[in-house]
Amino acid sequence: MLTKRRSGIAGRGSHQALAAGLTAHTLDRRGFLRKSGLAAGGLAALGSLRLGAVRPAQAAGSSADPAQAVIRKNVCTHCSVGCTVTAEVVNGVWVGQEPSWASPINRGAHCAKGAAIRELVHSDRRLRYPMKIVNGEWQRVSWDQAITEITDKLQAIRNKNGADSVYWLGSAKFTNEASYLFRKFAAYWGTNNVDHQARICHSTTVAGVANTWGYGAQTNSYNDIRNAKTMIILGGNPAEAHPISMQHVLSGKEINRANMIVIDPRFTRTAAHATEYVRIRSGTDIPVIWGILWHIFQNGWEDKAFIESRVYAMDDVRKEVAKWTPDEVERVSGVPGEQLKRVAELFAKEKPATLIWCMGATQHTVGTANVRALCILCLATGNVGKPGTGANIFRGHTNVQGATDLGLDVTTLPLYYGLVEGGWKHWARVWEVEYDWLQTRFDEVPASAGRKARSRKENMETPGLTSTRWFDAVSLPADQVDQRTPLKAMMVFGHGGNTVTRMPEAVKGMAELELLVVADPHPTTFAAMDARRDNTYLLPICTSLEMDGSRTASNRSLQWGEQIVKPAFESKNDYEVIYRMAVKLGFADSLFKNVKVVDGVPSAEDLLREINRGGWSTGYCGQSPERLKAHMKNQHKFDLVTLRAPKDDPEVGGDYYGLPWPCWGKPEIRHPGTHILYNTALHVKEGGGTFRARFGTERNGQTLLAEDSFSKGSDLTDGYPEFTFGVFRKLGWDKDLTADELATIQRIGGNNPDAVSWATDLSGGIQRVCLDHGVIPFGNGKARANAWNLPDPVPVHREPVYSPRPDLVAKYPTRPDERQFRMPNVGFSVQKAAVDRGIAKQFPIILSSGRLVEYEGGGEETRSNPWLAELQQDMFVEVNTADAAERGIKDGQFVWVYGPENSSKAKVKALVTDRVAKGVAWMPFHFSGWYQGKDMRDFYPKGADPVVLGESVNTVTTYGFDPVTGMQETKVTLCQISAA
Amino acid sequence: MARMKFLCDADRCIECNACVTACKNEHEVPWGINRRRVVTLNDGKPGERSVSMACMHCTDAPCAAVCPVNCFYTTADAVVLHSKDLCIGCGYCFYACPFGAPQYPRVGNFGSRGKMDKCTYCSGGPEVDLSVAEYEKYGSNRLAEGKLPLCAEMCSTKSLLAGDGEMIAQIYKERVIKRGYGSGAWGWKTAYRETIAI
Amino acid sequence: MRRLTSLLLLAATLALTAPAVAQVRAPDGAPNPTASSVNEEMLFKQDPKIHGRISIPNATAANLIQPQGREWREFRESWMPWIGGLAVLGMIAALGLFYFTRGRIRLEHSEESGKKILRFNSFERFSHWMTASCFIVLSLSGLNYIFGKRLLMPLIGPEAFATLAQYGKYAHIYLAWPFMLGVLFMLVLWVRDNIPGRIDWIWLKQGGGLLGDAHPSAGRFNAGQKMVFWMVVGFGLAMGATGIMMIFPFAATDINGMQVMQVIHSLIGVVFIAGILAHIYIGSLGMEGAYDAMGSGEVDLAWAKVHHDLWVKEQQAKTASGPQLGRGQVPAE
Repeated sequence: MLTKRRSGIAGRGSHQALAAGLTAHTLDRRGFLRKSGLAAGGLAALGSLRLGAVRPAQAAGSSADPAQAVIRKNVCTHCSVGCTVTAEVVNGVWVGQEPSWASPINRGAHCAKGAAIRELVHSDRRLRYPMKIVNGEWQRVSWDQAITEITDKLQAIRNKNGADSVYWLGSAKFTNEASYLFRKFAAYWGTNNVDHQARICHSTTVAGVANTWGYGAQTNSYNDIRNAKTMIILGGNPAEAHPISMQHVLSGKEINRANMIVIDPRFTRTAAHATEYVRIRSGTDIPVIWGILWHIFQNGWEDKAFIESRVYAMDDVRKEVAKWTPDEVERVSGVPGEQLKRVAELFAKEKPATLIWCMGATQHTVGTANVRALCILCLATGNVGKPGTGANIFRGHTNVQGATDLGLDVTTLPLYYGLVEGGWKHWARVWEVEYDWLQTRFDEVPASAGRKARSRKENMETPGLTSTRWFDAVSLPADQVDQRTPLKAMMVFGHGGNTVTRMPEAVKGMAELELLVVADPHPTTFAAMDARRDNTYLLPICTSLEMDGSRTASNRSLQWGEQIVKPAFESKNDYEVIYRMAVKLGFADSLFKNVKVVDGVPSAEDLLREINRGGWSTGYCGQSPERLKAHMKNQHKFDLVTLRAPKDDPEVGGDYYGLPWPCWGKPEIRHPGTHILYNTALHVKEGGGTFRARFGTERNGQTLLAEDSFSKGSDLTDGYPEFTFGVFRKLGWDKDLTADELATIQRIGGNNPDAVSWATDLSGGIQRVCLDHGVIPFGNGKARANAWNLPDPVPVHREPVYSPRPDLVAKYPTRPDERQFRMPNVGFSVQKAAVDRGIAKQFPIILSSGRLVEYEGGGEETRSNPWLAELQQDMFVEVNTADAAERGIKDGQFVWVYGPENSSKAKVKALVTDRVAKGVAWMPFHFSGWYQGKDMRDFYPKGADPVVLGESVNTVTTYGFDPVTGMQETKVTLCQISAA
Repeated sequence: MARMKFLCDADRCIECNACVTACKNEHEVPWGINRRRVVTLNDGKPGERSVSMACMHCTDAPCAAVCPVNCFYTTADAVVLHSKDLCIGCGYCFYACPFGAPQYPRVGNFGSRGKMDKCTYCSGGPEVDLSVAEYEKYGSNRLAEGKLPLCAEMCSTKSLLAGDGEMIAQIYKERVIKRGYGSGAWGWKTAYRETIAI
Repeated sequence: MRRLTSLLLLAATLALTAPAVAQVRAPDGAPNPTASSVNEEMLFKQDPKIHGRISIPNATAANLIQPQGREWREFRESWMPWIGGLAVLGMIAALGLFYFTRGRIRLEHSEESGKKILRFNSFERFSHWMTASCFIVLSLSGLNYIFGKRLLMPLIGPEAFATLAQYGKYAHIYLAWPFMLGVLFMLVLWVRDNIPGRIDWIWLKQGGGLLGDAHPSAGRFNAGQKMVFWMVVGFGLAMGATGIMMIFPFAATDINGMQVMQVIHSLIGVVFIAGILAHIYIGSLGMEGAYDAMGSGEVDLAWAKVHHDLWVKEQQAKTASGPQLGRGQVPAE
């Protein structure tokens, strides 16, 4: 052999077996499938000439019959960029993948995961049939048996402990329709304990951004970055996390000779392409941003006119920023003042400038404050609401934006309708269900530990437990968990078990649950932790490539994915599983009242239509399945930079690709969607808009409405509040409503029709008329530099709970202990104890975590894909060369990483590199299947174990939660490393 | 006829490995065989660059020259292909190849290497174009279908270019002129005895 | 040969060079990653090959470009056929010339002609012939790597040749092991009798009897045979060592090391073949009576006395009853 196979199997016996298996069997089976496709299909006529002159296509002899190869388009399930996946299907078998040239988002390209996505469907390591664990052994069961047993147990737990004792953990890999259905299902079940991965990726972004200017989403798009003259990427590594976005980032960098500034503790693959790299100490984002703003204010580089007309209370920020002199910034963050001055000047002067961030900014105890500070930097320099500017927030999973929008969240209903009576009543109207009946589904919570009792209605309006604390809500004493009883059951749909911090405590929580159900294409870490002997079920769910439905990319574009092939093995899609459970629980008829169900499978199109009927608040009302399908069909017509189709096109004329929300009004009025949020240079009908007047009209004598700023063609040439029927009547615009629209408004409003708003008017009349008057339904407000409703209205620096700089903790402590989301958050006590016990001396290395391009999330799915798994065969820790030398650690050897809580430790390989600074270590978060040095492979159901296993970084991560969203701290903790 | 080449624009390459898995996907390449790979130079330090590398389909290919059974041939598109029927798995082409392209599956003990496998520029082998036998031995034949290698077609940042040498050189030149920098056409000097003058 | 030398020196130089990247900095001294990116020229100045980091465990794959492959090719395709051809054909020509000028060295008859003396016992002969037969296959299959495509392939066509070459490769890999074993056996069996001594110097000065009239004295092995022995042991072990490196590639060295191994293997190989050709010649066609030593194991006493007088004396001294006679081979008189 010429390649060094001995090392090729990574020194682990399992890989050897795998390598043998792959060469001996798998290839044959697939080779056969593929061959059958080739022989029948020929695939000849599909290509076109590109780049170089190629020989003209030659048909594959007489057997070629292109008609047999069907092309189906879906959306890559691996990140929020939203790459189109083009599949060739022959006889129901997915035989090949072609570049999706037509998609304006990926233009044919994929990353390692997208280019290997066919294997997800074919994978031999998928969970094949429902299973349950009996006395520690996995057993195959039928779907009927599984659903019956699960629902019986759920009902029993509910009867005994109440609805809130069951946690409904959904997924950012759901389609929009499944996300919506899952949220609706939880409402019918009677709990707000429903969450998904956004909690641990961008919950702080959503909270921070929405609290600044209205909506918690990327303001512009990946494509629009091509317009930027300056871009700052802070706490993000798109080269690995969003590789296709780099096509646009690097193109922008090249075309405009743009400044590309990367601010990160780690010299990432993205930083390698930066024009300027700023290395900061993890967790000092606010000092760095305020440090940049200090120079901006000091030199008068801020956009005064913009601030004057569109920003509220920037002066409050000035006061805080004044404290962050270059010296103090350098003392806290390690960044020299001169470098920040240069960055500040570029960002303020070389416009348009955009700010890109990702989980490096959000996954902190100060995540929301970080995000707020970033927004304020955009506002101060006038870099919002124009092409090439904006907060380009790169979200994580394929549909994390959509799942967030559709309410897989403990604080909202679908489309950000609040957990208030008005919100519940709105959805009750859409669902055609009695509001009172919904209320009866919720628990009454008795008084406990000095807290007042809650009625059903109050409980219905109380935010639920965050997914970051689910195990605390199982294990903590009952009086500390503010609901009828602590958690007894976990229903986990498409969510890894290794992505939440503090694994040792999660394992404890798992063991105490009365019921654990994992519904996923793979068994996930939950199945492999050896914590459960009984009452645990695995339900095989198909990937979203095997089902119909839409996904919302990070840029708010919705894309319709069509089923490529039938679900593999016995797997079923989310819709069907939810339907079957609803049938057993007795509310299927009501839940699916307006949704066609064929052979037990609810229609994705009908679900989207229902979303359209209720999605006014976020402009999810115009994206009908028909329009979305037309977009997928006509992808090639959309412009690469503006994302707009030519106006004269009969099917998608004038639309922005994917009808990025808000797409106002009913589908019939053909609003084009909004490519760039808050863009006053465009008419609202063309996707223009203003900052949302979400926070009232006045505060402390200062107006919260925009001054002398309005979107193009607006009838109102100043700020205005959001529109209600009452406002309409004052303006006399009620006359523009049709009789039908008026009737609907009257019906909704009952005896107070004036209160019916743009967001609750099911007729869409208010929105339609607003567009005709060139105004945006949600009002024309100011963005808030001071968000008075947040714990820190103006962001202030707070040291991480486990700070490597105990000397700074006294001056910059974390927030005091308080209760949030039904749980205590004792970060302050933990921080104090860590300082008192000298933890930073015993654990002198900062530990951060992040992404690898080959894997996604908890990684079970991608680590089960041999094409990807081969590229990253070992969990590792990046150790700085100097730290490694001090500890006698060689590149590639095993080391122990010790965490400061629970005596935790993880055995991983050392990757000795200068990517991390001295005193900093970094681990990827996609691994699991080893636990504190032990290989857990045998605990997986046979044949469903991922190819590659490794320690989870979260075995050694620690306490720390954002006060606004319960976000966990994954980016800064402390550790010690020694050779194993 | 075109003279097919690869060009990796390292100033665009982000080591996303799409080229690697696209290749695996297109040809069902087994574990342990990497027809294409991405190498990162100066890792973790300023100036770091990643380069995607596979068979460069050299002019006057060294693999072909050293093969003791002359199993290599060059197509009209200047793609260097080989016959697995003739290959004896001696490993000489790996010693000669400047780019580490040849790969060998392990077949038996003591290193009896299997037939060499390498990038075919997505153009199969000596068998009849698009035949089952060709697919089984070499993977698919995109060139015969009028398509270019999938690794380049799917490249996340359009870093990896494939196509007629003059055309991709032109694309690269235009990029460098537009953006003002370029770390050069990696491997061209060794493979084609030429560089792209800008 | 300049290229070859540079190739051989490569391994040494590789260890000495350490990477150091020139960094372009912004006016205030901050590094500018875009402008200071590495390029091929810069990296080649630091190191003759370009290597980096790769996530797959195959360390060889971390080499991006190793232009030494072209030098190795130059050696293998431009030099090796000539070196090999000259070595092998040169030796054949030399032996032919010798044969035609000097003819076969005849057995000098004496009164003891016809008496036999055991020169090599059966295990010694087994070791010799195992090694020898392996060597013949190894050298033919080895030469095939160089000359097969030039000589044989045009005659029998590519398919037949590839099949033959494939079997040749298997033979080369599998027979290497008994060959190496044989070399070790012979080393153990004969090393005691092959220690060079003063007598060998005299033997050499007299050209082994070819110069002058008298036969120089020799022990069990004369200097010529000792040279063959040490050649077989030395080259055999070298071929074995380099060969094992190639059977388990990259286990102990990198790509350039592998190239060096192959160069050594092939160079020694052809010299070895040439040497063994001479050995075969002298042991068969070149000298009457010599073959019997490895044939039946018994040689004519007269021949032995001429060529290995000291050894015969030693053997006779060991047995009081005179020359040790072979079983059932009673002298005629």
